Amino acid sequence: MKFSVTKEKLLEGLQQVQNVVSTRTTLPILSNVLLQATDGEVHLTTTDLDVGVRGSFEAEVEKEGATTLPARRLFNIVRELPSSEIQIDVDGKNAASIRSGQSFFKILGLPEEEFPPLPKFEDAKVVTIRQKDLRDGLRKTSYAISTDETRYVLNGLLFSLKENKLTLVATDGRRLAMVDIELEIPRSQEADIIVPTKAVTELQRLLTDDGDVKVSISSGQIAFDLNKTLLVSKLIEGNYPNYKQVIPGEAKERVTLERETLLNSLRRVSLLASEKSNSIKLSFAKNNIDITANTPEVGEAKESLPVQYKGRDFSIAFNPEFLMAPLRNLTEDEVFLDLIDEMSPGVLKIQTPFLYVLMPMRISS
Amino acid sequence: MDMKCTQLWQKLSAALKPQVSADTFKRWFSAVELVGATDKTLSFRVPNNIYQYWIESNHMAALQAAILTAFGDPREIKFISSESPVEVGEIIGVSKHTDSGRETKSASSALGLNPRNTFESFVIGPNNEIAHAASLAVAQAPARTYNPLFIYGGVGLGKTHLMQAIGQYVFAKKKNMKVIYLSSELFINEFIDAIQHNNLVKFRKRYRQADLLCIDDIQFLGGKERSQEEFFHTFNTLFDGHKQIVLSCDRPASEIANLEHRLVSRFEWGLTAELQPPAIETRLAILRKKALGMQIKLPDETFEFLANRIRSNVRRLEGALMRVASFASLSGKQLTGEVIEHLLKDILQEEARTSITIEQIQRRVAEHFDVRLADMTSKRRPASIAFPRQVAMYLARELTKSSLNEIGDAFGGRDHGTVLHACKTVKKRMKEQDNIRQTISFIDSSLQR
Repeated sequence: MKFSVTKEKLLEGLQQVQNVVSTRTTLPILSNVLLQATDGEVHLTTTDLDVGVRGSFEAEVEKEGATTLPARRLFNIVRELPSSEIQIDVDGKNAASIRSGQSFFKILGLPEEEFPPLPKFEDAKVVTIRQKDLRDGLRKTSYAISTDETRYVLNGLLFSLKENKLTLVATDGRRLAMVDIELEIPRSQEADIIVPTKAVTELQRLLTDDGDVKVSISSGQIAFDLNKTLLVSKLIEGNYPNYKQVIPGEAKERVTLERETLLNSLRRVSLLASEKSNSIKLSFAKNNIDITANTPEVGEAKESLPVQYKGRDFSIAFNPEFLMAPLRNLTEDEVFLDLIDEMSPGVLKIQTPFLYVLMPMRISS
Repeated sequence: MDMKCTQLWQKLSAALKPQVSADTFKRWFSAVELVGATDKTLSFRVPNNIYQYWIESNHMAALQAAILTAFGDPREIKFISSESPVEVGEIIGVSKHTDSGRETKSASSALGLNPRNTFESFVIGPNNEIAHAASLAVAQAPARTYNPLFIYGGVGLGKTHLMQAIGQYVFAKKKNMKVIYLSSELFINEFIDAIQHNNLVKFRKRYRQADLLCIDDIQFLGGKERSQEEFFHTFNTLFDGHKQIVLSCDRPASEIANLEHRLVSRFEWGLTAELQPPAIETRLAILRKKALGMQIKLPDETFEFLANRIRSNVRRLEGALMRVASFASLSGKQLTGEVIEHLLKDILQEEARTSITIEQIQRRVAEHFDVRLADMTSKRRPASIAFPRQVAMYLARELTKSSLNEIGDAFGGRDHGTVLHACKTVKKRMKEQDNIRQTISFIDSSLQR
């Protein structure tokens, strides 16, 4: 196998796939990237057996062939190369010679046959989504995925394909984020699946603003085909809990808030929220919210936020990190905060179908 | 819900209502059922796991407070989700074999026994000689020699292996004997089930008619009073009827927390055999036997390397062997010391980490007394926090090489006098109160494990 390519193209190609490579592995082949040179193109594949990514870059292929090379090492070398033109030549024993300007490197690889193939998708359910929509949806929900490994069904994002919409749900038991994306879904293609965190993170990196993504779901597996790149992942087995139960009933009070103003205030006040109780208090009064935090023996912070509010006076406390997470990931200027009373969950909404349920914390008086 | 539970639940709901908002109560607690109640634990049945997740994450404090108000003392809370199937696998195996014919292999696995765990596959060394000999004697002549046989030892040293070997030996050689093997947890579950469905008679009949009763991990009976009582009677019936009883445990009977004395004394009645970590020769022998069984060939140096480096636990030893062997067959590479070292990095690190840190002690003690880890270093000092903190200081003094000053620093910058006082106080209380001594020796041994 022999090909030449520009540094930028090779680097871009490697960046897309190298995150999947696991650092700790008992199978050395899994820390390698599979390179397959064909007509004017080189395909790159990495996998950790749970998640696999396949990408490609254009190159001048002199001799077709395939090999696997240590992904991290190759990436580090390419990044440091001085000249923009790179030539890679792999001999029959999977040793790759990398030439660029005055530099020469030789790295040893493993034969292509040892590389585990990505799963095949036959009889799969297929839906097509706009990349922009999916990326937006993932961004609005993925931060709420649980990291508690004992609740493994929550260690992923629910993709519920039903009734002509894709619903994305993430929860960790204290908060829940949900987005609906309008989509035409034939009855036969409906499904409820849980995509693991790692695949969600990788997918977010790969999705762009243009084009569509073709999603194929077969038993236990999912593939996201982004035209030039492909991501496949195992699904989390099990049933996602009935999340609808969490969404509170009709709200008593609604306030409209400027997202950035609120976020900035929260960020400042939370500096004095104690690590232990880690809560900040929102006190509602006529046309005003006081955001306060205090830690015994440390100090306190208070900020007033003028708003349109005509309801009754009351206070509610939240974990500041949980309240800021959605604000950071939304892009809308205005958000709505729906509340019932100080002990019921708060709900954050925007103009489009999005919902964030957040449990209040107890106010110790 | 039976009558008792219904009443308890009514009392509890009344206490809970003021603690949470009306909507929360209606949404989360109205669908909850109280299905089991003892002096120590309450079991709630929830319609599906979102109830458990959400209540655990958000309403535990309210629930605990309500329990305290309603019953006066704290209880352990358990959730049972109706969605998750109740584990019945092994029990089906047990009841099935009583009425169906005995096929050698499939039947023994139906008993819940792993066909690989036989006396033949057990490697004997000075560390487990007595336990092995006693087990063999019991298997050859049940209820004649040592009754009950009580095997104890650390994780992965072969307790389950020996018990299952006895079970299979008796099962294969003495066709007319009824063998029951199960874990104590299963025993408890079945007992609870029997109470719930009101068929205690059937439950008793099943266990009291056994000729050989093997119960694994008996330490889980600790704190389960009703189950202990039931087991006590089962034990007596079997013992008086000259039936063999074999028990395994991860600690000596006297160290099982919250186990009634009459049970402790009965457990110590027959023969108590300890399993210790294997010596180097034994480890080597285990590796070779295992390799032979798996039909893998490895150079002698590899065996020696593994036996030398992995000392504490046979299960881990076998895991390491498996990993090395699969690597060798997958990659076809030469197995040098370096390669193996790299391959087993995580295991070897774990092995090397035998020394105990103050942080581990704090974590373990906090967990045991159910206080926050942060309380170990905080300035607060109500008795409920101060005493665990003193215990942790005492253990830090005993188990680490840290100086009084270092310990004081690790506990939120206290001075050495405080630490010294803590050690004295704890020692004094250990002398005066048996239960405190037991608690501390339990934490101590669990840390050293």
